[in-house]
Amino acid sequence: MEDRNTTGSKRRIFLKQIATMAGAGPLGISLGAPAGLAAVAAFGPSSALADDQPAGEQVLGYEALSQDEAALVEAMVNVMCPADDLTPNGVDSGLAIYIDRQLAGGFGQGAGYYMRGPWKHGKPELGYQLPLRPVEFFKAGASAVAAQCSKQYGKGFDQLSAADADAFLDAIATGKVTDPRVPLGSWFNDLAYPLFIQACFADPIYGGNRNKVFWKVVGYPGLPATHARDMVEFRGKPYPGAKDPKSIADFS
Amino acid sequence: MATRLDKHTVVIVGGGLAAALVARQLTVKGVDVLLLERGGDHREGAEAHLPSQRDELRWDTRQGLAQSWSTQTYTLRHTVNDDSLPVRWMEAFLPGEGMGGAANHWNGHTWRWAEYDPSLPTRLVTRYGKEAIPADVPIQDWGVTYAEMEPYHDLFEKLFGLSGKAGNINGQIEAGGNPFEAPRRGEYPQPPLEITEAGLIFKSTVEKMGYKPFPAPAANSPRAYINPDGQKLGQCQYCGHCERFICEAQAKASPEVLLYPMLLQRKGFEIRLRCHVLGLDYDRRARRVTGVRYVDLMTGEEYKQPADVVVLAAFTMSNTRLLLLSGVGKPYDAKTGTGVVGKNFCYQTNSSVNVFFKDRWINPFLASGSTAMVIDEFNNDNFDHTGLGFHGGGGIYANVFGGRPIGTRRVPPGSPRWGTRWKQANADWYAHSFALSVQGSCYPNRQNFLDLDPVYTDAYGQPLLRMTFDWRDNELRMSEYVTKKMDEIARASGATIVGPAVPRKSPFDTRVYQSTHVTGGTIMGTDPKTSAVSPRLQHWDTQNLFVVGASVYPHNSGFNPTGPLAALALRLGDDLVGYVQKPSVL
Repeated sequence: MEDRNTTGSKRRIFLKQIATMAGAGPLGISLGAPAGLAAVAAFGPSSALADDQPAGEQVLGYEALSQDEAALVEAMVNVMCPADDLTPNGVDSGLAIYIDRQLAGGFGQGAGYYMRGPWKHGKPELGYQLPLRPVEFFKAGASAVAAQCSKQYGKGFDQLSAADADAFLDAIATGKVTDPRVPLGSWFNDLAYPLFIQACFADPIYGGNRNKVFWKVVGYPGLPATHARDMVEFRGKPYPGAKDPKSIADFS
Repeated sequence: MATRLDKHTVVIVGGGLAAALVARQLTVKGVDVLLLERGGDHREGAEAHLPSQRDELRWDTRQGLAQSWSTQTYTLRHTVNDDSLPVRWMEAFLPGEGMGGAANHWNGHTWRWAEYDPSLPTRLVTRYGKEAIPADVPIQDWGVTYAEMEPYHDLFEKLFGLSGKAGNINGQIEAGGNPFEAPRRGEYPQPPLEITEAGLIFKSTVEKMGYKPFPAPAANSPRAYINPDGQKLGQCQYCGHCERFICEAQAKASPEVLLYPMLLQRKGFEIRLRCHVLGLDYDRRARRVTGVRYVDLMTGEEYKQPADVVVLAAFTMSNTRLLLLSGVGKPYDAKTGTGVVGKNFCYQTNSSVNVFFKDRWINPFLASGSTAMVIDEFNNDNFDHTGLGFHGGGGIYANVFGGRPIGTRRVPPGSPRWGTRWKQANADWYAHSFALSVQGSCYPNRQNFLDLDPVYTDAYGQPLLRMTFDWRDNELRMSEYVTKKMDEIARASGATIVGPAVPRKSPFDTRVYQSTHVTGGTIMGTDPKTSAVSPRLQHWDTQNLFVVGASVYPHNSGFNPTGPLAALALRLGDDLVGYVQKPSVL
């Protein structure tokens, strides 16, 4: 619940837009409120909004991300996952909430990472070598992206046109946009991008892949995957269960 | 001050596959055995039951069953001239934790290695002449023959209900099996798994090319099975959650399914979970170990556990590290090539190529960990290496083992990494693609070894193990050659699109999973100057200390390491039955 009290007018406009878009979009309720509402919850005291929710809906706010960071992440996932014939936009697919939750949880806190010094720069093949916990690195990167964006375009990332935002992300991924202190290429390719992929394809219990939308796109049938007979019957043929995947929540 | 406990006859460090097999042989003869295992019991956990067992993010991406790197990791430098750094989050290989060890979360490929593997140098010198082996490749004879190990292979295959098709029964080559297989006394205990669509494509392609494809020998049970101990396996459900997962159907042969439940019923067997071993108590003058020291993770207290016999049966890396931490045996010195502990550290030289078939339904989610078709023509010394400039090789596989969507999605080269076209590429190709892969040998190099890191320590304050490792000339050339052979198959397969076939390249990359098959460090051999343990796995300097696991392999072959490791563990168990009655040099 960091940065709860900071406000920004651009952010406020953005949230209103998202909330409107989300309100019109295909919304699921299994994990909680639509991501647009989630963003609103982050903006104000969540309890006030929670009171307005129908029974059974849980209002989600951002745990790890500040409002500016959330605006960046929402804009990023909407560029990387635009609404199209295949899926709703990234926010409505739960991708921003997934990223926030992972950063707030064990992963973001560096659970499982060896975090003892001394700290030294190493070859990329030795992997992550920063003393920052992943959530701290994510935030440092988000702020560097915002700064570089402002330098290049004179506005925030969430204010860019879709084409500009896409080109800017590509420039970050390929090392064309650099920051004097933050290794932005590594930030994107080794941290932000894997989170995006997980957000799309992990089980929906983590907040992304809402309504199993990405599993439907590729045709992954999910659970329970007891395929001893399917293995023979559907070898070389379309598998009917791929159209209606089941997730952990369906068996819980 | 550590509390001293009552003595046990045999204390085994580690609670995985090798430990269970040694304990099986000992406890049946009434010898009391204590195992010390750092992890817990997975059997009642979320990892072993639906629906949470199928959680790719938790068990696979976040490595829920692997060793916690925050407690203990390894450091790496590619050459002795580099500074080592800790691998803070390892992807390359995944040691297990808990009763059953890494054999809980394995895929189930279970090979007997080539008949000539235990005497590889002899084979190469006989075939290619005295100069055949480069000076910086210290392969050496194991001091055990395949024929001596065969009865134990046979026993292990029955215990684990292996499925497969024999290629060589008592020297008779069998159609449909691996013609390069070491001679076996009979068929596999169970028939092969169902072949995947990818396997069918591979099979017809390589047959046209004149190769002899066969189903990979598998520990994934094609039907319900009862082993000679009366322990049961369920039927494999082809759910695509083997490697990195525990099989909730108890259909993947694993120590926690087939061995530990039985052992826990046996008198004289004890496994102490959540006990982290710190080192051996070593009486240097008497050249004996008197026991081990460990931390009970439930209390944080340190204990001394006395033993008549100590067996190191932990993961490859831990066996080596415990000898180094305890000052038992001479550490390997890469400058002079002398010393033994840490020597011949090897890995697995793998590569792959993606193939895309517009009109074929591959359905990657219909698979088990070992639903693979393989050819062995380019493995190890199964082909003539005259003039090639390297030794070794690899099996070439159509190895579909799951369609878990975070990690297993293939898109054609040139596809964007996000956006509508990226989504469309995933939609188009997820169910229509697979990879061919090479599982390649890794022969030792004088500059690849293990020692203690001079700087970094683990959560208990002990030095981390340091890897000095990279892909050296022999492996780079081998990979280039066999990857090319794989590419020829990919291009002959009728695939709509063939991705780039990239051989393994230096530098060794810890960010990419390659296999958990790290070997060596406490190698076996016939000469105390070049090996840590004898051909019977007895420590050369310390008679009542034994080491078992892939850490005793003098080289790594183009196969998964489980088969010979299990055979050696069963043989060691039998040897120790005699040893505890009459200690001697075996």
